[in-house]
Amino acid sequence: MKRPLVLAGIVAVGLALTATLAMAQASDSVLAQARADGLVGEQADGYLGFVPGAAISADLRGRVDQNNIQRRQLYTRRASERSVSVNEMAAAVACEVFQRPLIAVGEKYRTENGQWRQRTAGAAIETPSFCAN
Amino acid sequence: MRAALLTSLGAAILAAGCIPVQIQAPDEPIEINLNVNIRQEVIVRLERDAADLLDQHSDLFGGATP
Repeated sequence: MKRPLVLAGIVAVGLALTATLAMAQASDSVLAQARADGLVGEQADGYLGFVPGAAISADLRGRVDQNNIQRRQLYTRRASERSVSVNEMAAAVACEVFQRPLIAVGEKYRTENGQWRQRTAGAAIETPSFCAN
Repeated sequence: MRAALLTSLGAAILAAGCIPVQIQAPDEPIEINLNVNIRQEVIVRLERDAADLLDQHSDLFGGATP
């Protein structure tokens, strides 16, 4: 008797999940495009930042803020587990981002001193001094 | 009785007051460092955690770019 209802419920949850995933993916591509366009970039503090002088739409600003809020949540949780400060956890992630690197050629990034640079094919990324080598 | 007690108490306080208390100024000025420095040894300790976070939440960070 209750079978169809349960089935409908499962389908509904599935649809909602797909929609959420699609939205997350869309957000990803907008951010990826903005990074490629040099509007935003990774910073040495572990967050995304706006490149000065770039025209940032309200939509993009919202997506970047949302991304940073989620990052901060991750940092905060892990920092409390390891008894370190949130800034330290964020800095450790920044080191990974700069060293892997998760900054593509052509993308901009902000150094420890607050300077914006562009990653070029030839030059090495300026990694923060607090990172292990 | 009470007066005697008070007197002796007063004397005790006076005597205590006579003990020279030397306060030596430190040779160097006290430095209060408010810099929130990122300590490298902490970063080293967190390396694995940072890698974990990136692997588990690759959606929040840029795609892998060799």
